[in-house]
Amino acid sequence: MLEGLLGNPVIEKIFFTLLMYGEDYPLGMAKTFGEPVNRFQQQLRRLEDSGIIVSRLVGNVRLYTFNPRYPFLKELKALIAKAYEFIPDDEKDKYYKKRRRPRRAGKPL
Amino acid sequence: MKLDWKTIGIKDLASLICRKLNDNEIDAVLVGGACVSIYTKNKYLSYDLDFVSHTSVKDISIVLSDSGFRREGTRHFMHRDCPFYIEFVAPPLSIGSEPVRLRRKIKSRFGELVLLTPTDSVKDRLAAFYHWNDLQALEQAVLVAKAQKVSFREIKRWSDNEGHAEKYRIFRATFKK
Repeated sequence: MLEGLLGNPVIEKIFFTLLMYGEDYPLGMAKTFGEPVNRFQQQLRRLEDSGIIVSRLVGNVRLYTFNPRYPFLKELKALIAKAYEFIPDDEKDKYYKKRRRPRRAGKPL
Repeated sequence: MKLDWKTIGIKDLASLICRKLNDNEIDAVLVGGACVSIYTKNKYLSYDLDFVSHTSVKDISIVLSDSGFRREGTRHFMHRDCPFYIEFVAPPLSIGSEPVRLRRKIKSRFGELVLLTPTDSVKDRLAAFYHWNDLQALEQAVLVAKAQKVSFREIKRWSDNEGHAEKYRIFRATFKK
């Protein structure tokens, strides 16, 4: 969708993920898309280095979100949101509508 | 001029870096906590010097290596004897969604330093408070506002634009305490 513009298919996946879930971690993204984690780590570092996203450590997990201080964030999100509308429904269901609400520890299902 | 890297102050170091870059036609503006240190005469002491420059870090690296600064990671520089850590934050120079238009220039014995104005320094710190609830950043914003003449009208306008009118009120209340 935006691959031609962004120059990388992984960045597009990262952007859609952060838009839909607010935050995520490299291994989580890698599992969702069934791709090697280093691909995501590399591009996440690149985006963080450019000030587009930021990260914080929660325990041992590095969580990434959009940088609220990035000056073009509003416009960038609008573009990503527009592109998201064109994703086929089955792809949305598979990658961008996973359960995120809390689940009590020890609950069987 | 003899330079002791171990005891150099933040203002002198920032001026030195800025002058060296300017001598090589590299623009750089000091932002972040270092501005707070300078404007409050070290009531808050930062060990990070954050600059924004449109020149590539590779070119900056060549200039800084003459002074003994080694590049660590993608945008960071360290000196073996100096306690401060220098970072070149990705451009553009902005606070929230607005570009920074004004600069303050301060002279020291090591050269001329270009940095955010006190009003923009307050906005810069408030941005961290607004977006991440960082109370240290709120304290720093208050310290600058108390130590320097700032435009509350401009800070309020910017805060409203950023959608943080409520947190601006917290800033004002903290300032008045």
